[in-house]
Amino acid sequence: MVTKDTFIRGSKNGIHTVLMLAKIILPVYFIVTVLKYTGILEYIAIIFEPVMDIFGLPGEAALALVLGNALNIYAALGVISSISLTAKQITILAVMISFSHTLFVETAVTKKIGIGVLPILATRIGLAIASGVILNLVL
Amino acid sequence: MSAMEIIKEGLLGGLTSVYSIALIVFPLMVFMEIAKDIGALDWLAKSSKPITRFMKISDNSAFPLAIGLVFGLAFGAGVIIQSAKEGNLDKRSLLLVALFLACCHAVFEDTLLFVAVGANGWFLLAIRTVTAFALTAIVSKRIKIKPDKGTGTLSDK
Repeated sequence: MVTKDTFIRGSKNGIHTVLMLAKIILPVYFIVTVLKYTGILEYIAIIFEPVMDIFGLPGEAALALVLGNALNIYAALGVISSISLTAKQITILAVMISFSHTLFVETAVTKKIGIGVLPILATRIGLAIASGVILNLVL
Repeated sequence: MSAMEIIKEGLLGGLTSVYSIALIVFPLMVFMEIAKDIGALDWLAKSSKPITRFMKISDNSAFPLAIGLVFGLAFGAGVIIQSAKEGNLDKRSLLLVALFLACCHAVFEDTLLFVAVGANGWFLLAIRTVTAFALTAIVSKRIKIKPDKGTGTLSDK
């Protein structure tokens, strides 16, 4: 039954989630912006360009993949919103990160319910890579 | 560009993205609580039975599957562990539900987060769920779990 309590709980969850994502997105966005204007981002982009080219993504998008997998989706969003990408590139990144993100924490969780670390990492990273390659070709 | 301008852009840009994401996430959280309280999950679990059959897993898997799909991996895992303790979930279903949820969970939140930064949401949702179902169905055909409880092993036929 929907009562006042439903809305209070929902609002609490909402505020909690927004604060959590702000804590991550704000510093990530800030750092990426500084990297952009100091020329360091360009340097990172050049290093990762050959790999990211397989997915049709610019080199600096590697930051979104790395942060999304090591930290969480919020960190990846901070990167995605601070660099310039086309709609196609954002969708490719979104699919890749959806399959494979927050790997340290989530792998620990799936291990608890009985799947080995290696099979699950291989599956998730494999799906991310395969989807990125395929979407770049078909989109 | 001066240092001040860079700092200003870094702060304002970050706040703008947080704001646009908050506009989507906050209502979603309220909506999810409403969904819980009107019993949408039982309904979802019931209507996902054809899917659990398609993946050849027990009907009892439908509830943890629905929970994880909507509310995320941690929540789903909690329900899975609970169902397994109560003996409602055989080893084979447990593994397959866990595999499915590892690849596909919290679909509303994750999808909308990416929509907030400009991704194609329907496309993202469709690719992710269809791939997870297909993968689970394939693995389901290939794994053989011994019928005795608790000591199931993954092995190729």
